[in-house]
Amino acid sequence: MISALILLPLIGAAIVSVFPITSSKVCRSIALTFTILAFVLSVVIALGFSPDEFSLQYSEFIPWINSLGFNYNLGVDGLSLPLLVLNCLLSAIAVYSSDQSIQRPRLYFSLVLLLSSAVTGAFVAQDLLLFFLFYELELIPLYLLIAIWGGQRRGYAATKFLIYTASSGILILASFLGLVWLSGSSSFALQELDTSSLSLGTQLILLAGILIGFGIKIPLVPFHTWLPDAHVEASTPISVLLAGVLLKLGTYGLLRFGTLLLPLAWQYIAPWLAIWAVVSVLFGASCAIAQKDMKKMVAYSSIAHMGYILLAAAAGTPLSILAAVMQMISHGLISALLFLLVGIIYKKAGSRDLSVIEGLLNPERGLPMIGSLVILGVMASAGIPGMVGFICEFTVFTSSFAVFPVQTLLSMIGTGLTAIYFLILANRALFGRLSNQVTSLPRVYWSDRIPALILAVLIVVFGIQPNWLSRWTEKTTTAIVRSPMVGVHAPSHNSSTTASIYQFKDNISIREIMVEKSLKE
Amino acid sequence: MIKKSSKHPLAEYVERLLSGKTLLPEGSENLLEVVGILKSYGVVLDAYSKNLIYIAENQFLEFFPFFKYFNGQVSVNKLFSHWWHDRINFEYAEYCMRSMLWHGGGGLDKYLDSAEFRENAENVIAAKFRKNPFIKLVNQLFPEFLIEQLRVSAYYSGLGQFWRVMSDIFIDLSDQYDGGKITSILQVVEHIKNGLVAAASKPIVYKVKIDNKVYNILPESAELTFLVDTAIPYVEAIFFRGTPFQGTVSYNAQAGQISPDQGRFQYGALYADPLPIGGSGIPPTLLMQDMRHYLPDYLHHLYQSTRRGEDDLRVQICESFQKSMYCVTNAAIVGLMPHPQDTQDPKLRDENRAYLEKWMDRLIISRLHAVNSQDNSCNISLPRWS
Repeated sequence: MISALILLPLIGAAIVSVFPITSSKVCRSIALTFTILAFVLSVVIALGFSPDEFSLQYSEFIPWINSLGFNYNLGVDGLSLPLLVLNCLLSAIAVYSSDQSIQRPRLYFSLVLLLSSAVTGAFVAQDLLLFFLFYELELIPLYLLIAIWGGQRRGYAATKFLIYTASSGILILASFLGLVWLSGSSSFALQELDTSSLSLGTQLILLAGILIGFGIKIPLVPFHTWLPDAHVEASTPISVLLAGVLLKLGTYGLLRFGTLLLPLAWQYIAPWLAIWAVVSVLFGASCAIAQKDMKKMVAYSSIAHMGYILLAAAAGTPLSILAAVMQMISHGLISALLFLLVGIIYKKAGSRDLSVIEGLLNPERGLPMIGSLVILGVMASAGIPGMVGFICEFTVFTSSFAVFPVQTLLSMIGTGLTAIYFLILANRALFGRLSNQVTSLPRVYWSDRIPALILAVLIVVFGIQPNWLSRWTEKTTTAIVRSPMVGVHAPSHNSSTTASIYQFKDNISIREIMVEKSLKE
Repeated sequence: MIKKSSKHPLAEYVERLLSGKTLLPEGSENLLEVVGILKSYGVVLDAYSKNLIYIAENQFLEFFPFFKYFNGQVSVNKLFSHWWHDRINFEYAEYCMRSMLWHGGGGLDKYLDSAEFRENAENVIAAKFRKNPFIKLVNQLFPEFLIEQLRVSAYYSGLGQFWRVMSDIFIDLSDQYDGGKITSILQVVEHIKNGLVAAASKPIVYKVKIDNKVYNILPESAELTFLVDTAIPYVEAIFFRGTPFQGTVSYNAQAGQISPDQGRFQYGALYADPLPIGGSGIPPTLLMQDMRHYLPDYLHHLYQSTRRGEDDLRVQICESFQKSMYCVTNAAIVGLMPHPQDTQDPKLRDENRAYLEKWMDRLIISRLHAVNSQDNSCNISLPRWS
């Protein structure tokens, strides 16, 4: 079933690219059909998923290259399930939002489908090499999508993206190989890896590779410079995917491979990670304030918000890991919404420049509904209660404060800065008299609004009922934190009994568990 | 010394008028917009006029005129239609009436401060409240209160009578256009000017009936006439001065955004921003809402063919309306010119130029340039893939 999620977009990509279809509308319809089918399937998987179990579900195993210990090993747990559904949803939205008259439609839609397939594969892979394969696979379509359909400086942005993310891949691959070879494991399967024999020094070196590798992808300051360029040059649907799911591969990788496989090193450098998170949050937010380009502002906002995830991951309590996962989804929905809306504004007004665009809320000649959704999006991003951004950031701060009070308080300044830069955006772009340069904007159709409305509804629904978001992940995140103590390195189908003998306390952190463990030893 | 040409910032328009052209440039689209919008304006003015006259004649000295917009035909259906807002916005007519009352000017304003009017008003008050000792007492305590009410009623009547004439002029214009007799903006201006001139000396009178006895409030003997006593004060109050409070933009008096001299107010229809958020003077809301129900088909087709279709219908109506108001202003300016427009006498021509420059002084910051250069295009280039 999980394989079908990977295969559906691949089949779609094959159909679009192989058959000689000249109409971009037909290509879009085919791509949309397959992404919607994948999304429906992901929902079916979610409905069939048992949130009360933290073990892997829907596992699939096909032996591949036994001599290398590399197998086709898939599975879903509470960490990957929400991201899986988010990816399928945003892929469908990206295809739907793509221009119907786009040039080279066959290549474009097949690349989008390939990208969706690769990201799905990365989220469900339970084998280090398989994960790496999918992780690298998504680079190619994304590079081409920016390089071919991007803005004026697309060549520069795409190349920069490629250099950064390829370096990221090299570091990750080196760390994965080190993990397997140095731990003496015979396979790349996550469940079989036991890193407890590795010394702290070795763990730290391996973790450094993982941290920098995934830190580039997230991106964390100072590895972030590729992101604003990539966002500014990418077309709207690609920005939606980039901010919505692709950055999450970085944080997902940190949680899955950093906290889980190298817990000793993780807890050792956790205070520094929290400081790194603070730097990312404050730097990203400060840069966002200085931006005139709406898209760049949202891009820098992404950098700041991804910092919250690192903070929560560093804190390492069951609640904070849960908060990190929730923040990933929250950021995925909110940033996707904001990029969609900025894209619509750019399409209709021809500019994203805040010194040009103003008065978009004008009820007659502006974009009143799009403007209202922008207000909703920026409010959600700034953590206004009633929306998903609030509950996720609140959970991040509440859970992290117990472990890193100073870093958490400093990160909280970031939410204030978010309110400032998004207030600047809303004030300049939405209020006042409609700019003389854009006094006659073309009409916005419902087809333009529908994807943004879907995301807005989800943002509000999860804001009011966050349990619908957290229930899938709660058991898994708790297991991730508990696993170092019990020597279980991944929540697997046979680990439930072992882990369940412990009474979970939400505010216990990896650090405390490790201290407890070393005392016992 | 005879001036050869104007050095005025709006010299282009001065020369245009001196050479017999119009403030609004000729063009088939402009003509279609102006005639079409004046047709719908004529229909709406007809309704406004009837209601203003009804209120003046039947709701005078009523302290709680709950049903003043019903023209005496109150029914449950009409009440629900009113609450549902499926109706003409008669409030707009009252805004205009109050604006005229506030700015004053002309013979009507002077007459309302005369002893004769006071005497007439006191007769009406005495008759109306002869069986109401409480109001009589109030009138003794506050002797200006009821008289001021009748001044307001006089403006209801004055504006109602003015619009009655204007409505007929505009409907007639539309009929002539439909019959192929009007083919240029110049002919539109001529038609309006001729209509104004023809009705110039039409007497403005206001009488009320109490217990089958007729009382004069604005008698014929006051010699108030259409052009001088209602049309010109109306143009001054509504087209030029307006009020800074009717739009959705707040003007800050402390910051000097509102002239302390009412005579220098420039918030009228010729200055109003058609975009709702910037609307001062005449807000493009009530009147535009009313006119949209009566747009001729050809104007609908024109609006539908624009980039945004009829999504911004009220703004488009407002822009067309502003064009038409420049035609009316043009007619008034030309009609009041001291010497014939086509005079060849250099001295008289110079006097005409000086007269026109005075008008243009007032139009420097108006939307005259805007209506001359309106297009529906977006000035910023569109992105690559749109």
